[in-house]
Formats: sequence, structure tokens, C-alpha cells
Amino acid sequence: MKLPDTMEGAFVLSVIDFFLCFVFIGAIGGVLALFPWLNRLGEIKEEKY
Amino acid sequence: MYDQFMGLMYDLLLQTGLTQLWWGNIVMIIVGGILLYLGIYKKYEPFLLVGIGMACIVANVPGSDLVKPGGLFYYAYAGVQSLIVPPLIFLGVGAMTDFGPMIANPSLVILGAAAHLGIFVALIGAKVLGFTLAESGAIGIIGGADGPMAIYMAMKLAPDLLPQISVAAYSYMALMPLIQPPVMRLLTTKEERGIIMEQPRYVSRLEKIVFPIVIAIIVNLFLPPVAPLITMLMLGNLLRECLVVDRLADTAGGALLNIITLVLTVAIGSTMGAENFLNMKTLLIIALGLVAFLVGTGSGVLCARVMNKISGGKINPLIGSAGIASVPIAARVSHVVGLEENRNNFLIMHAMGPNLAGVFGTAISGGIMLALLGV
Repeated sequence: MKLPDTMEGAFVLSVIDFFLCFVFIGAIGGVLALFPWLNRLGEIKEEKY
Repeated sequence: MYDQFMGLMYDLLLQTGLTQLWWGNIVMIIVGGILLYLGIYKKYEPFLLVGIGMACIVANVPGSDLVKPGGLFYYAYAGVQSLIVPPLIFLGVGAMTDFGPMIANPSLVILGAAAHLGIFVALIGAKVLGFTLAESGAIGIIGGADGPMAIYMAMKLAPDLLPQISVAAYSYMALMPLIQPPVMRLLTTKEERGIIMEQPRYVSRLEKIVFPIVIAIIVNLFLPPVAPLITMLMLGNLLRECLVVDRLADTAGGALLNIITLVLTVAIGSTMGAENFLNMKTLLIIALGLVAFLVGTGSGVLCARVMNKISGGKINPLIGSAGIASVPIAARVSHVVGLEENRNNFLIMHAMGPNLAGVFGTAISGGIMLALLGV
């Protein structure tokens, strides 16, 4: 379904986009919150090869 | 003999640009001069403004072969048009960026979404002013303060507006230290500005290596329209963090980025010809860009104030304005304004979290926009 090129279309696009932005960013934040568990798998030395 | 001589001199004169010069060229040469002044004397983002300013001046000197088909600036612009340049910029940016602050404090990434309200206010404003929905989307993305993303979206949605959108985006990024602080001070109290945040946790090498791989998979799965940009950002970051390909990371973040920046800035400047640039649309886009930046700064700060209340006073609201994607300028602005209240308050690493999240926020906003507009 294509958005109409009207003010209504602009509002719908803005509301959906802004809301989904929070959803996606929140999901990325949720994934990042699990990252400390990765350290239980092991450790990579810091020095360069 | 005399007539022949005068005839030859007249033909020579016709071949120069003097006969094609008009007042619009003079105005745009002055604009180019102002950009050079801001870059060289005031040192506002010189890596961007010097190239843009010089190319703007050259583009408005009639007869310049550099901007005509076959000229060097013409081919530089072809690289931008074919969307090769923005992903390569992101490769270099990724190779120079430490995403540790973002990984260390995942709750702050939400500021990278909150600070993008400006995009949608500008989008609606552009529609009110008579732009098409696609053009309005491209104009709105200026508020994300991400130059390569603004170029990418402009080429996808409104290629005719690329000069105005790219100049507005890069100019406002450079002027962020002037634009943001008044809004930040207006929306926060003295006590809030003085909040010292806890040290972020240590982020291990393993986490920093897994991060770009996971993000690349997520973005390619859910936001294919902007996958080229974010994937290259993550590739650059992986080159940096894996510690086994130093030469590639140094090249991506060093020589390659410098070359591509040079190409990008002269390409943008070369499109600032008076005949394309001096019209009402340009003024409206520049005004809408400013609105987007101001609203985005405000919404980021207000969201950070809410988070501060919820966390019991642990979050300095000044870092909210860093949710605008301009890395690391916006984070630096948060740090400087924080130092004004408390000389011992080093906000830069805390502000880098939302600042880096803002890059993803702009990409996500753009990707969803492209998906909804069917591009």
C-alpha cells in the first residue's frame, strides 16, 4: 500500500517511522544488554598481531 | 590588420567566462568565501567546508572546465550520484569509531531515537510548504545530522535537491556548537547540567568484535534499504576491532577516508551553481534544516530529562542532545556545555553512547522511510 502524497500521508509516515525507530533502537539496546554474557564464552587478548 | 586583430581579441574575450558572469555567480562566490572563512579562520569542520567552499567558488566562475561534463568535479559528482561515495565514507568512519560507549550503556541508545523527532517535524513542515512527500522525507533527514545518510536519502528520494540538502546538512553539522547550546541551556536546570555520571563499564574485545557482526545481520534482515551504509560502517568497525588487519583499518580510516572526503566535498560544492541554488526552495530547505536541528536537540534533551527522573538523578540530560548523529561533534558539544557548569564533569564518553546510537537512529529512520515510500 503506497502512502498518499498528502498531509495525511506525511503524518502517517512520520508517526509510523518515529514509533518504529524507537522499536528498532530499543531492540538493538536489548541485544546490547545481553553482550556482557559473551564474556563467559572466553576472552580475546588485547595485544595486536 | 587592425580589424583582424580586434576580431581575434573579441573572439578570445568570448571564450572567457566574463561574458557569462551574472549577479547570481557573484552571490554564490561570496557564499563559497563565507564557507571558507568558517572552515579556515573559525575552524568549523575544515575537512568539509574547505573543499565545499572552494568547489562552490569554482562552480560559479563561468567557463570552468572542472564542473563541465568530462571535468574532474563532474566525475566526483558521478561517484556521489551512483551512491558509491556514501558507503565508502561509512567504511572509513567505522574504522575510526569506538562503539564501546554505546555497548557499555545500552539504556542510553534510546536517546538516539528520541533526538530524531526533528526529522519528522521538518518532514511535515516541508509538506506544508508544498514539497512532495519524497522531497519532504529527504529534507527531513537533514535533522539526523548524518551527511552521508542525507546524501544517500536525497539521491534516492529527491536527486534534484541534493545540492541544497547536502549543503544544509554539512553546514549545520559544522555549526552545531553554535546551534545546540542555547536549546540545551533553555531546557535544563543548573543542577541537572552539573550531574556527574558513573563511569561506564569495561567493554571487552570479544564484545567489540561481535557487535559489528550482529548489527550487520540485524540491519540487513530488517532494513535492507539502508543496509549498504550500515554494513560498510560495521565492516570498517570490524577491521578496527579485530586487531589482525591493522593496515586495512589504517587505510580505511586514513588515506581512503581522506580521498573520499575530498571527492565528496568537491562534488557537493560543484553542485552549488547559482542557477540551481539561488531559488526559494533553497531558502526553505535551509530554514527547515535549522528547525529539524533545533527540535531534535530539544527532544533528545527532554527524553534524557525523563530518563534522569526515572533513574533517580543518574543521567545528565545534556547527553540527550548528542542523540543527533553528528559524531563526535554533538558529543563534544554536550561535554563542553557540561564543563561550563562543573570543570570536573567529563561527559564526552557518556555522550558518545547516544551520539553513536544516533547514527543508527538516522539509518533506521531513513530505512523505514524508504520502505514506506516504496523506493
